[in-house]
Amino acid sequence: MTITAIPEETELQWIARAQKGDRQAFGDIVHHYREGVINVVYRMCGDANLAEDAAQEAFIRAWQNLPRYQRRSPFRNWLYRIATNVALDVLRRERDTVDIDDLPLAASGSDLEATVECNERVEQVRRAVLALAPPGRLVLILREYEGLSYKEIAETLNVPIGTVMSRLNYARTKVREMLAAYLEVG
Amino acid sequence: MDHILEWLQAYHDGELQGCQLQRVEAHLAHCENCRTELKSLQAFSALLQANPPATNLTRPDRFVAQVGLRLPPRSTQTALQRALETGWRLVPVGLFGAWAFVQTAFVVVTGILLAQNHPLLASLFTSVLPPASDVSWLTGWQCSARTGLELVRCFMNYVSSLVGLIALGFVPFVGIGLLYWGWLAGWWIRQQGRMAYAE
Repeated sequence: MTITAIPEETELQWIARAQKGDRQAFGDIVHHYREGVINVVYRMCGDANLAEDAAQEAFIRAWQNLPRYQRRSPFRNWLYRIATNVALDVLRRERDTVDIDDLPLAASGSDLEATVECNERVEQVRRAVLALAPPGRLVLILREYEGLSYKEIAETLNVPIGTVMSRLNYARTKVREMLAAYLEVG
Repeated sequence: MDHILEWLQAYHDGELQGCQLQRVEAHLAHCENCRTELKSLQAFSALLQANPPATNLTRPDRFVAQVGLRLPPRSTQTALQRALETGWRLVPVGLFGAWAFVQTAFVVVTGILLAQNHPLLASLFTSVLPPASDVSWLTGWQCSARTGLELVRCFMNYVSSLVGLIALGFVPFVGIGLLYWGWLAGWWIRQQGRMAYAE
């Protein structure tokens, strides 16, 4: 889920105003990045409710640290960095209480269309991604779902590009092994 | 045939440029194995991306409102904190000033001592300064020793005076240098602390 682009000037204005304490401008930032941040955390932890709470936590941390944000890297990368760290904190907190098999289905509830989409393939893909170790999972999510370049992932995770490439290679190999049946068929 | 499997993922992700990109495309044009591997990678990405994002989420405006309610007030610095922060940022300027002062004082004092021992200039200083101390080591090794033992003693005096002068000149600079490196270390630690807090 890539974020809809907005004019850089608009984003800069939001950031500048929010840095001075303008909550309305920060609300615009939250509104714009909400979906991307929630989905990064959701793909990491596999639980939509948990992901929403964690996304709120990420935005609160972003608000607290915004005065110190400098445009050395794109704002999205900076925000995703906070979000991924919150996701890792959530995973550490929930490690002893949540099991992949106990997580709710990706699409549950009364929405008929969503329930139809929630088939075995979707679940298997989700579980295969969740079975990865967090570092590889993060790189795979940022690349495959958020469409970040290697450089952007490296900036977001504060690791060298070579590490991004090796983690991505490893993550893809592992998940492809787990989903081999679907890849052969499809 | 040398396959390009190690470059396929980067090619698939659109990360290759220039010669490397041309090399991979040229190889793919005639290598069935690598084309199959690329198709498999593309199918894998399509399979992952077909998975829906989180559903049944809170409405965007409600989510924004919830975040807004949880936002803590921005911590405002007191006047004392701001003064301390400004002082901290000015430490390198202060150290540079101290270095310039010590350097200037060292040059001036050395100049005065040399002048006091100069036959023509000495008279100018006798009226305003106390008599010059023995600074013959500054103007050159002037030794009236005649025996070997006296010569050695004279030389030792010269060396110890010279070492004393160098130490006198270097201690402040070493001190200022240490303070500057200490400030740099403190600045780095603060930066790390801020980054860790953000994380």
